[in-house]
Amino acid sequence: MKQAWIVFAKELADALRDRRTLLRILVPALLMGPLLLTALSSLIASLEERADRRELMAVGLDTAPTLKNFIERQTYVIKAAPADYEAQLRATKLLEPVLVVPKDFEAQLRAGEAPTVEIVSDSANQRAAAGIGPIQRVLWGFNQERASLNMAMRGVSIELLQPVDIQERDLASVQARATRLTSILPMFIIMAVLYGALSAALDSTAGERERGSLEPLLMNPAPPGAIVVGKWGAVALLGMAVAALSSLSFVPAQWLLRSDSLQAMFQFGIEEALAFWLLQIPLAAGLSGLLMALAIRSKTFKEAQAGSTLIVTAVSLTPMVTLLNPGGDSPWYLWVPGLAQNTLMLAVLKGEALRWEQVLPGVAVGFALAAVALWYVARSMREAVAR
Amino acid sequence: MIEIRDVHKQFTSRTGAGLFKRGEKRIVHAVQGVTLDAPDGRITGLLGANGAGKTTTLRMLAGLFAPDAGHIAVDGIAVKDSPLKALARMGILGDAHGLYPRLSARENIVYFGRLQGMEPDAANARADELAKLLEMQSILDRRAEGFSQGERMKTALARALVHDPANIVLDEPTNGLDVLATRALREALRWLRSPAGGGKCIVFSTHIMQEVEQLCDEVVVVAAGRSVARGSVPALLDQAGATRFEDAFVKLAFPEEVAA
Repeated sequence: MKQAWIVFAKELADALRDRRTLLRILVPALLMGPLLLTALSSLIASLEERADRRELMAVGLDTAPTLKNFIERQTYVIKAAPADYEAQLRATKLLEPVLVVPKDFEAQLRAGEAPTVEIVSDSANQRAAAGIGPIQRVLWGFNQERASLNMAMRGVSIELLQPVDIQERDLASVQARATRLTSILPMFIIMAVLYGALSAALDSTAGERERGSLEPLLMNPAPPGAIVVGKWGAVALLGMAVAALSSLSFVPAQWLLRSDSLQAMFQFGIEEALAFWLLQIPLAAGLSGLLMALAIRSKTFKEAQAGSTLIVTAVSLTPMVTLLNPGGDSPWYLWVPGLAQNTLMLAVLKGEALRWEQVLPGVAVGFALAAVALWYVARSMREAVAR
Repeated sequence: MIEIRDVHKQFTSRTGAGLFKRGEKRIVHAVQGVTLDAPDGRITGLLGANGAGKTTTLRMLAGLFAPDAGHIAVDGIAVKDSPLKALARMGILGDAHGLYPRLSARENIVYFGRLQGMEPDAANARADELAKLLEMQSILDRRAEGFSQGERMKTALARALVHDPANIVLDEPTNGLDVLATRALREALRWLRSPAGGGKCIVFSTHIMQEVEQLCDEVVVVAAGRSVARGSVPALLDQAGATRFEDAFVKLAFPEEVAA
């Protein structure tokens, strides 16, 4: 036990002295999430701004005074579309849809011929596509008004037009709505754990072997198990340290949020940061062990790095599972390292209280993985050196 | 006191192969009968050509892998039965002796001292002592990153000796050292052998005749994985009927070469 502690202290000091590597891990871990959050918020802010501006871009509206009058009564400001609006929409230079009104609109309307208006957009141009809804609603309103007037003139009750009254009721809490946007955040915490543990795990196994310092280390009368546990402790702690900084970085990041509504929805305080961090413990334990087990068989740091890409890819793809499976969370998610943490962190973001039966599977799997991996590393160390 | 009795070890290796064909397995007999007796207060040399099986033998002594057959004991403790106890009685400078580049020489030495069960203060005091013996005070508190070959070797040696072991095992310790460093190492080993230095049992492997002639009380000649002759330098000269030690070594290790 004492020997494990000595190895732990040395590995930690050794890793912390590697300032350059540490800095290269910390910078992306600390900046990526907040940067993304800020970019996301400015996108939402620009959408909100457009809704507030109540502007509508149109072609040929001057020849349709009735429609123009209606739109202006809805307090919309009408802007003329550029001549090459189609090309601009395709090239994503124009970021709002265009209402196209035919020349004979007024005449057809008067004749009761239902003229066709077009809302031109490009579904590959997301910002423009998002603006279709408001224009559609304005046009529905116009239809409704025309129909009601016609009915009223013929002495028919307007209510005939609305045999069913439709009202929406949104069950999502404010926080739950925000998670649609912030569901990408847990991935950054998971990657922080991985990157924090990665270089230390490889350095303390394959790196030590490459330097030729593993053989002398094993010639000390310390049980292999103690050496491995000490190394693993340091690796896992580094992963946890980077995870802590990464999850704390979201707390000040939300002050940068430009969108008021997102700011109101995204509530990430010290409590959430702590919950995020605690949830990473089993992941850090399991991943550290797994990385060490993969690396101990590699002769060089480079070989170990190539081997670890598999884990890095697998872990970074776990959030994709939730995206690809819109049928909702399955119970097995909680048993897969990475995916379990992702699911639980999303629950925290939604403001749900975590239950023990949700948390325990991940903890059990994480520590079982660590135990198996450490047993394997302890068994392989001598063989690895001997080869 | 180190006893190695008729140890054997074989490895499997692969031959070279084509683009898609794997190499065939071949059995390599690395060691097939090495015997060595190293008493306390003496320097015992393990002399052999490259690939004779010296390093493999010493690695088995260090418990890195078990011999296929034979017996190894350190101060009467069988390495196979209680490797950790045996390791505690040995200071080993192996074939690989990498340092931790981000730790200072002192930290490298103290780390191993702590793993040998020493208290931090005792390990630090011992590092100073060894630095004096090996003339490395000037580099003691520098990081190992920029060390020269000789400085690395000295640090590794100090690290192996930190717990003041009764048995010292060195695998080609003079490799890559210049004349002055080699002389200093020789002096240090002589002192460790003397009663004032603790009367240690020292085993060291080499392929350099000079080393053996100047330092060893007893020599074991190893060739093709077997120990083929043993005795003091004059005794080996007598046995081979030669006047130069190099001739004696070639006669004893490669009789077929001499006959041809």
